[in-house]
Amino acid sequence: MSDDRDAVELPDTIELPRLLDFYELQTAEHTGIHEFYERLHEGRLSTTRCSDCGDVQFPPRIVCPECHCDDLEYVDLPGEGELFAFSMLRAGAPLGMEDEVPFVTGIVEVGDVRLSARIDGAEYDDLAIGDPVELKVVEIDGPADHERVFYRFEPR
Amino acid sequence: MTRSVGIVGGGHTRWGDREATYKDLIQEAGKATFDDVSGVDPGDIEGLFVGSVQPERFAFQTHVAPMVAELLGVSPDSMIARTELACASGQAALRYAWLAIAAGQLDTALVLGVEKMNLPDEHAAEAQSGMTNVMDREFDGVNGLNAPPYFAMVAQRHMHEYGTTREQLAQVSAKNKSHAAHNEFAQFQEEVSVDDVIDSFPLSPPLCLYDCSGITDGAAGLILMSEEKAREVTDEAAWITGSGQACFASNSVNNLPSMSAWPQATTAAEQAYDQAGIDDPVAELDVAEVHDCFSISEIVEYEDLGWVEKGEGGQFVEDGRSALDGDIAVNPRGGLLGCGHPLGATGVSQALEIYNQFRGDVPAERRVPDPETGLIHNLSGSASVHSVMTMARGRP
Repeated sequence: MSDDRDAVELPDTIELPRLLDFYELQTAEHTGIHEFYERLHEGRLSTTRCSDCGDVQFPPRIVCPECHCDDLEYVDLPGEGELFAFSMLRAGAPLGMEDEVPFVTGIVEVGDVRLSARIDGAEYDDLAIGDPVELKVVEIDGPADHERVFYRFEPR
Repeated sequence: MTRSVGIVGGGHTRWGDREATYKDLIQEAGKATFDDVSGVDPGDIEGLFVGSVQPERFAFQTHVAPMVAELLGVSPDSMIARTELACASGQAALRYAWLAIAAGQLDTALVLGVEKMNLPDEHAAEAQSGMTNVMDREFDGVNGLNAPPYFAMVAQRHMHEYGTTREQLAQVSAKNKSHAAHNEFAQFQEEVSVDDVIDSFPLSPPLCLYDCSGITDGAAGLILMSEEKAREVTDEAAWITGSGQACFASNSVNNLPSMSAWPQATTAAEQAYDQAGIDDPVAELDVAEVHDCFSISEIVEYEDLGWVEKGEGGQFVEDGRSALDGDIAVNPRGGLLGCGHPLGATGVSQALEIYNQFRGDVPAERRVPDPETGLIHNLSGSASVHSVMTMARGRP
């Protein structure tokens, strides 16, 4: 055996792969619910409704879970809602969110839909169940080949 | 269902932040399991069921059931699979082994649960990613909704709707962690008071650090046998008398039936009670290992497993009804709060604890007096799935 060993070079760090940053890829090339994200780009929170049985889903789908019809239409959700529950993430953040903690995360009721969402612009101690909140849309800077957005809420 | 199935033994690794690899943990648990059951050798194993949630993220390994077979020298010639049902993966493996034996497909199975969760400190966020994608990554995980804030909101809603108190939550943690102080396998082996819990780091209010289970490396194993085969190797078995599961077409926040009640647990428990012939669980169950991933979880479980009226779970612990000498001794092992929670191993360890309580093989400080019937319960993910199994000593 030779005394000269070949060295295997590994990178010290590996750039955060786009699929590990928690935000889905949002264009028609990647997802069947791209219209949800296209509307969100325009500042509208929406979801799908079955054009056959009328079932309204959230998260949006491409097939109705009630009747398995695949003809779904997008309907806007209210931009204002009420805080149903909330807590904080003070530690234990996943990849890509380590620099954001601490933050408030919660559950918001918008119309008939109850969704989880980050709550911006408020401290935990300032919030109460039932507080009015309104939609805000944030742009996601990160490793993707298109501009991504997501929804959050803030006190109204 | 046809044949009776018994747990005839099992083994455990030390749980905690272990200086051990995923494969080390498998070998430790396998050795402990086979060492415990005289008369069963690796060559007797016809079915292998491995509970493990995220080896892909935590240990960068897939196809782990054959790895377990290789490491332990078992050659399952009937069934082999890994089960993934998040925090209930261990019970799912146990349930499939029970089903396979009960259905007559095989006589002897090894169930092994294993998780390696602690990565070097600088990689903690990678491990947390593997916890945050348990819920719908696109619509819930993206909001930082991993387990602590999620269950904190269950606690907040339960307090809001039913008047459950901060002290009652802490009583659950103090009880279970104090049991773990007498469990040599547990991650956290210190007595903890109610004040200690309330004064711990406010991780995700209203929950504090001591309201939460741990990030844990560990494994546990069980041998299951048909009644005919079990009689050949032991006079003592924990007989599986019932097993139920329920999920209501829900996973993400909008589709859950409630944020303060788990009717899926009621459905799963009723299935198990019905199979076991249990009419009055509080009167008939002696020992239970329930999924206290967070203190609030155990309180909701008292209610939705049918032990008290909705909203009275906090009073159940406050009145000492879940203490070792209470109506049902709950989590004498130390629970997830005290033992830690190596996801795929937890349900396996819970079932082993019931068997050990039946045979009196636990320290006196946490021994349940003469238990005849036991229950294990796991929830998974956003508590969207509940799994319940009942066991009896001396049957059939």
